Amino acid sequence: METREDAAVPLSFELNGETVAVRAAPAARLLDVLRGPCGRTGTKEGCGEGECGACSVLVDGRVVNACLYAALDVEGCRVTTIEGLHDGAGGPSALQRAFVTLGGTQCGFCTPGMIVAAEALLAANPDPAADDIRGALRGNLCRCTGYVQIVEAVRSAAAARRAGADAARAAAGAPS
Amino acid sequence: MSTETTVCTIGAYHRPATLDDALRILRDVPGARPVAGGTDLLVHVRDGREGAPPALVSLRRVPELCGVTIEDGAVTIGALTTMSDIVADAELARLLPAVHVAAADFGGVQIRNAATIGGNLVNASPCANLPPALLVHGASVVLRALGGVRTVDLRDFIVGPGETCLRDGEVLAAVTIPRPLGGLRSTFRRTVRVAMDMALVSVAAAVAMDGGTIGAVRVAAGAVAPTPRRLAEVEELLRGAVPDEGLLRRAGELAAAGVAPISDVRASESYRRHMTGVHVRRALAELTAGGVDGDA
Amino acid sequence: MSAARDAAGRTWVGRAVDRPDGADKAAGRTLYIHDITRPGMLHGKVKFSADAHARIKRIDTSRAERLPGVRAVITAENTPQIRIGFLRDNVVLKGEKVRQFRDEIAAVAAVDAATAAAAVELIDVEYEPLPGVFSPDEALAEGAPLVHETAPDGTPLTTNAMSLTFGHESGDMEAGMRAAVHVAEGTYSTPLIQQSCMGTAGCIAEFDTAGNLRIVAKTQIPFLAQRDFTRILPALGLAGRTVRVIVPALGGGFGTGLDTHPYEYISILLAWRTGRPVKIVYDRAEEFACLSPRQSSVTRVTQGCDAAGRLTFRRIDVVQDNGAYAAWGATYPSVMLLPATSLYRVPAVSFKAQLVYTNNPYCQAMRGYGNPEVTWPIESTLDDLAQAAGVDPLEMRLRNCNEPGEVTPMDLRVTTCGLRECLEKTGESLGWSEKRGRGSAPPADGARAHLRRGVGLASLIHVGGGGKIYRSDGSGIILKADDFGSVNVSYGGVEMGQGLHAALSVAVADAVGVRPENVVVNQTDTATCPWDVGTHASRGAFMACNAALLAAEKLRARIFAAAEDVYAEEVARNVAKARRRDASCEPPPPDVVAGARAADFDLRDGRLFLRERPADELTSVEFGRLLRAIHFRDAGTVFAVDAFYEPPTELPDWERGMGNLSANYAYGTQGAEVEVDTETGEVRILRMAAAHDVGRVLHPTALKGQIYGALAQGIGYALYEEVRTERGRVVNAGFTDYKIPTACEMDFPIDLHFVETNDPSGPFGAKGVGEPGLVPTAPAIANAIHDAVGVRITDLPITPERVLAALRAKRGEA
Repeated sequence: METREDAAVPLSFELNGETVAVRAAPAARLLDVLRGPCGRTGTKEGCGEGECGACSVLVDGRVVNACLYAALDVEGCRVTTIEGLHDGAGGPSALQRAFVTLGGTQCGFCTPGMIVAAEALLAANPDPAADDIRGALRGNLCRCTGYVQIVEAVRSAAAARRAGADAARAAAGAPS
Repeated sequence: MSTETTVCTIGAYHRPATLDDALRILRDVPGARPVAGGTDLLVHVRDGREGAPPALVSLRRVPELCGVTIEDGAVTIGALTTMSDIVADAELARLLPAVHVAAADFGGVQIRNAATIGGNLVNASPCANLPPALLVHGASVVLRALGGVRTVDLRDFIVGPGETCLRDGEVLAAVTIPRPLGGLRSTFRRTVRVAMDMALVSVAAAVAMDGGTIGAVRVAAGAVAPTPRRLAEVEELLRGAVPDEGLLRRAGELAAAGVAPISDVRASESYRRHMTGVHVRRALAELTAGGVDGDA
Repeated sequence: MSAARDAAGRTWVGRAVDRPDGADKAAGRTLYIHDITRPGMLHGKVKFSADAHARIKRIDTSRAERLPGVRAVITAENTPQIRIGFLRDNVVLKGEKVRQFRDEIAAVAAVDAATAAAAVELIDVEYEPLPGVFSPDEALAEGAPLVHETAPDGTPLTTNAMSLTFGHESGDMEAGMRAAVHVAEGTYSTPLIQQSCMGTAGCIAEFDTAGNLRIVAKTQIPFLAQRDFTRILPALGLAGRTVRVIVPALGGGFGTGLDTHPYEYISILLAWRTGRPVKIVYDRAEEFACLSPRQSSVTRVTQGCDAAGRLTFRRIDVVQDNGAYAAWGATYPSVMLLPATSLYRVPAVSFKAQLVYTNNPYCQAMRGYGNPEVTWPIESTLDDLAQAAGVDPLEMRLRNCNEPGEVTPMDLRVTTCGLRECLEKTGESLGWSEKRGRGSAPPADGARAHLRRGVGLASLIHVGGGGKIYRSDGSGIILKADDFGSVNVSYGGVEMGQGLHAALSVAVADAVGVRPENVVVNQTDTATCPWDVGTHASRGAFMACNAALLAAEKLRARIFAAAEDVYAEEVARNVAKARRRDASCEPPPPDVVAGARAADFDLRDGRLFLRERPADELTSVEFGRLLRAIHFRDAGTVFAVDAFYEPPTELPDWERGMGNLSANYAYGTQGAEVEVDTETGEVRILRMAAAHDVGRVLHPTALKGQIYGALAQGIGYALYEEVRTERGRVVNAGFTDYKIPTACEMDFPIDLHFVETNDPSGPFGAKGVGEPGLVPTAPAIANAIHDAVGVRITDLPITPERVLAALRAKRGEA
């Protein structure tokens, strides 16, 4: 039987701001490459068929399921995983802080995917209503929280980000 | 060595930059499969539902397959256009409301960012969202091969569950929709178990009123027959008629009687049949009178 | 965060401090079984049966063995027989006969997961099919094929009825039935439910050179697992060797970790065979089809009341489809007894439970453990009874309400009981008096004529102070104070997302007198933690915090005694330091300092001080500095104290259904307002209320998470979830067709009320709350549907199809 190594080809992409070069087989999923050769285990496999969102990552800023994404399709792309989401200084982002403080994480297995999906939402819609948040997270299953405190965390983080953006604008002397 | 990947039986992964390159690979490697978003094929190969092809041809970077063009109201949607692209296009939403709703109510955002219109049609799943919505807008598909191009009415494209009339070496390149009639309104409705679900039943309808009577009308249903289909008898009944409550009720009954659903783990044959009628009636009510029979 | 104390002397308990495991989880840094590797690790994969009931004629592993990368293939032929399970009726590798689709026939260890998966496909098994039984009715029919021909000890069996007996008879049933003016009855069914942990099951087993087993296991019972695994060592020629169970972060538990599983033993056998660490992790399809779901059940219930709506009797008969083997879940009736005998006051009760072997997948525990199965029919028929009696259902429940201090028919000794307040709060939240009974009235808006609204509620009783179903229901704990003022906690229970460590961190902070960020809860490991029976029965926080209180008291006493020797010197250093800044600084009175004895000290937020001078900086010593002074003096010492908490409970007599199995009982009421689409049968929840007697709030964020999360599971149970089988084969083994609620289903307001009864048995007054939140959800929704459209649904889940069928039946349509 043919082994994977025979068919694996070089793959290079930007992962959380760093260029990585690995080898990947044609059948490899982005999830396999992230968790295996890249050693980023924050992205979880919850179902392997796009139903649960635990493997959510950003590819060129768009949130996708890494379990459904062919690894070789990210050649030259910008991939962001949960490990790449922080406040810029390595500390927790507003979303990560809010998830901890407001009870958005329990067992934590869905949390990385949930935060990545929420990040994509807030990038597109800085002030989402609760229904917008629920709609944006419907591809992310959680069995622990009942989602209530997740939605609260995203709303709170959105407010914190808006306040931070306002403060940054004010500091820069720009008109608000 | 990576420890978490599947044993590879796919020999090669090609990323052509032009459609002709893609078509050449498909000609040269018998059994090679084109992939768009890849959302279903990778899963099916992994779990054994589909055999591993000798090569995959990723169409993701083929520029001819991307983008939406609108000329004089006629729409061409490249096969690689994602559900998210469709949802975000305000002009599409105005011209083709049913298509907009069907794309918006499709999986979660992760799926909408990856799934393409071409993939959704080529999969030919009976319960796919887009076909009924495209059918009521009279869509056709543009099929490209090395030797040329042909255009096929969407009604003739999907021939059975998972089966299309695509020939070897042929790729679905685009979907074309003629300019909608003036005053045409359309809608899409479906039944799901929870928000993240495939349709147990879906119905799309498009109506252009002619004064107090129904002028042009198209009605289509998904997940209630081996292929998504237009409901010709229902359209016949409605054309030229005054949309009163009785007419809409008869349209629903006719729709329910005219479909051929199955019972499976998702729903029973009788419930699917019943819901086809409810959706047809409610869709028509929405389109003809702004919701005489509106629901939540 | 400032550290003000409340009137009860609590600084941190009751406050929403960040949970200690939160930051790593939000950063994706937490390690689950999926993320852990060991040097030289192999990957195991199980070959499952392709038939529900068959003789195994031949197993051919030769093709699998030849596959490059395969290191071992095991079957019953080449491994010792290992019997597992609650009744020892499950042989890990089946050699003669399979009894269910998921039966383990062989297993492979290979260099990677893909090779292992490919190898399993190359194992050929030839079966001789046998007729199967796929429901209790089929299994109990005359002449039915036997799932087990013999008991584990070899005794021939003649029936599929299991020998486990659970029953209860109390009061004068004949008198109760005579006194009944109104009677309601019904037969209710519940389906198989998949616990649906987001992180699937798995383990890594390995042996050291001496033959000691180390297993990282996704378990809720590390110490019972240690016992189970130790039992098999002699069969491997390793008698006398040790077993160490290490618990990784759990991607949810919900009861799946209450038993040891065949895959764990298979992993152990493969590790033993290969001399390498072997990891088995289930994929989602295996989790659905090959891990055990919650039992399905059919319950017949009859209840009667007098003219005033007071209950006079209750009869309950449960038949539970156990599947092919017995797990701990076979003891669901032990918990069913609680609602059967003790939810509301009933003078005469009869309860019987029959468990039946079938060729369906064998079942195990899930959150609530039998309670939801029985509360659903009790609370549904109670509404019917109220209707028959012409009494408002809320009023009916208040008239029969449990009260503090009562002794129930199964001899539960109720300490505190907040049920009355729970009922009242739920009624207020729902707008009960305005909304109940209006469902049939025509809606104001003619365009919405097909929509009907209704409200309903239901209550629960559950164990809140442990649940004794094993000979010890205790928990040990070790508190270790380090040189830097932190307290390490070694506790044998399991954090699986519920917030056990959040509760422990605030409880230890208050009990010892440090800040929560200085409480470090160690990874659960049988080598370092004292024994605990397991994290189930809503007992985690109750037990852990009670044990912590005992240990903290000892720790403080020892530290205060040792502090006598170093205190004066440390205060002198304070004074010297203060004088360097301000030469005029007044020293404290020398006799106060030199005469300070253990009883004079207090410790709070990491600062030792004199009780008489709590605000005085000069006479207070930072905790870490104090510990270092005690440690590094001549004949110094360090502090590690242990405690074992065994709650004041009894192991019940199950055949009679009598015994006070918990130190307290948790109560609660949930209510729902729903809108039913009479054309489609779809049910939309408009609002829910959940009022729970929690004793005392330990950690509000974690507590809310427990109730919201359980509520969502209860809604899934009520409306969406069912593992479907066809002749024993799971046909919806994945989230594509097993639907749990998404965020969009949870789009309605939820009013939470925490009723604080301050139970004397509880740590800081708290009761266990892990399970109650899903117990009354389904009947509350079903009662609201009945209020809306007048149909009584008796089968879960309440799908649109079932509602529509019931509406048609009511209208007299076919």
